[in-house]
Amino acid sequence: MKSINMRCLDVSFRYRRDRPWIIADFNYTFHPGVTLIKGASGCGKSTLLRLLAGFLKPARGQIVTPEGCAPANAEFQRRELGFVFQQLNLLPLATVQRNLALAASIAGLPGKAIAENSARWLGLLGLEPYLKRMPHSLSGGQQQRAAIARAMVKEPRVLLLDEPTSGLDDLNARVITRALKQFVTGNRICVISSHDSRLEHLADEVLDFNCFLPLERHLEALV
Amino acid sequence: MKFSILIASYLSKDTWKRWCEQPGSPLARWFVTALLVMVATVILVAFQLLERGLQERLARFGLDTLLVRRNVTPASVAFFRQGDGPDPLGVLSADGKKLRLRQLFVRGQTELQQDNLFVYSYPPQALPLLANMLSPDTSVICLSDALPAGMKMQVQIGDRKLFAKVARPQNWLRGLATDTILLVPQGWLQEEDELGWIETTVFQRRPGAPPMERIIAAVNTLSTLDNRPPPQIQSALPLVHELDELKRRRIEWEGLLAAMLGGAVALVYGAIAVLEFRQNLYVGALLRSFGSPPVLLFLKYLFENILLVNLAAILALTLTAMLHSAIFGGLGLPTDALNSSGGNPYTSAAVLSVFVWINAGALLSSLPVAIGLRQPVGEILS
Repeated sequence: MKSINMRCLDVSFRYRRDRPWIIADFNYTFHPGVTLIKGASGCGKSTLLRLLAGFLKPARGQIVTPEGCAPANAEFQRRELGFVFQQLNLLPLATVQRNLALAASIAGLPGKAIAENSARWLGLLGLEPYLKRMPHSLSGGQQQRAAIARAMVKEPRVLLLDEPTSGLDDLNARVITRALKQFVTGNRICVISSHDSRLEHLADEVLDFNCFLPLERHLEALV
Repeated sequence: MKFSILIASYLSKDTWKRWCEQPGSPLARWFVTALLVMVATVILVAFQLLERGLQERLARFGLDTLLVRRNVTPASVAFFRQGDGPDPLGVLSADGKKLRLRQLFVRGQTELQQDNLFVYSYPPQALPLLANMLSPDTSVICLSDALPAGMKMQVQIGDRKLFAKVARPQNWLRGLATDTILLVPQGWLQEEDELGWIETTVFQRRPGAPPMERIIAAVNTLSTLDNRPPPQIQSALPLVHELDELKRRRIEWEGLLAAMLGGAVALVYGAIAVLEFRQNLYVGALLRSFGSPPVLLFLKYLFENILLVNLAAILALTLTAMLHSAIFGGLGLPTDALNSSGGNPYTSAAVLSVFVWINAGALLSSLPVAIGLRQPVGEILS
């Protein structure tokens, strides 16, 4: 059944059976707007994003996308999901423009929409001069912006970003924040996993994920 | 559809770039496949050439032809009878046609060249069988495949000069000799007759007669009953057995080569595909994270392997065909097979089946990649 939210119902996950739970019985509804997931390293923020994207399968419970399907659904991933990894986001042998065109084509966008969307997001992220450049010739910040542009070009319903501003200077962070503000309109859901305080003002909701941190890690964090 | 083309285009670019960066990888695969295919082709073509050689010999000799030879020395009883005694193989006449000749201990020469021809003498009883080869001008027949049929020429046997008419040997007489022979009426060469001869009986079994094995057994039994030493018997049976044995070996080798080629290709290509898949795991996972179907990535590895094995096999086959004379001439096999009416051995089903085996190997080699593609994207990109 379609809704405007993305729901996690009793979601538990661990990478291996002999390991402790990384996320246990997690219930949450992601509403349209920006949700910022905060937490210390290792608390499971990135894992949650991968579960929301369908790149990992919950050991227990289920995640329901706004389309009413599981996030692992290929159609949802192609058309409605944009994901920005913490690093290594671009296809190394394709130009920036080609990277965007590939993602948009996979999403099934017509040629005209691809051209318009590419121009819009590349412009907003200040990447117009780098259209024909290969990823290895871009700086870290430019690469991260190109990756965000690629996630946005298909104008997905759900955008997930894993530490999008990690290691970037203020200028890059501001450009990214501005683009995200432009993007998150209507029923779009944007979930950002970050401990970068520069993104806090962007959030409509903040989810503290430290609850999943083991006790000893809490103590370490306090120290 | 469009995205499939875009992904395929990206993946082919990725493959090409990798080949240029690490040429050792495609070259190693190419070299191994070409070498294996070459070895397999040489073995398979050698079997075919051997088979053809045997089949040609069989066709020349005839499956139902029997040649019985017995030495008649001046000391033997048959010599004193001058061959006029009862024919010890006379009973065979009921089972086919039979020609009784004497191979004389003398050689003949044609006027055309300094050759060295076998000379046989034939009795009057053989005339009905030789009638279509005889001429009113002369009773000497020169059986030859090389000389023009019907030509008359002078031949010299010892110090006697005779006229002979050239005739094509009937198939059942081809067992007498592989080269040109001379047939002279019995009694014309008295001096040579006194040296003894080889009693030679050519027999052709008629359809419906007992099988050749039984006829050969009967000939041996007759010799034993007459207290004569066993005659020298020449028939197509050893050739047939040899051909059967060769075919059996060829089938064994085909199976062995199929397993060897398929297995080796699967192992070598599989190992390299897995290695490269691990190196490109990230790109694959990234494409999958966009929603690209994993099957496209699998097809990329499969296509790459299939392309390489087939190119290598075509190269190996072409190279072997080009070096045909050098390879098979060196092995003592006929080298004119490419022009033979039996068909080109390089396009035979046995040789072309090599392509099936190597493609099966290429498919097998891609299976570990298919298994690897089942790993969740989230684990790869963590």
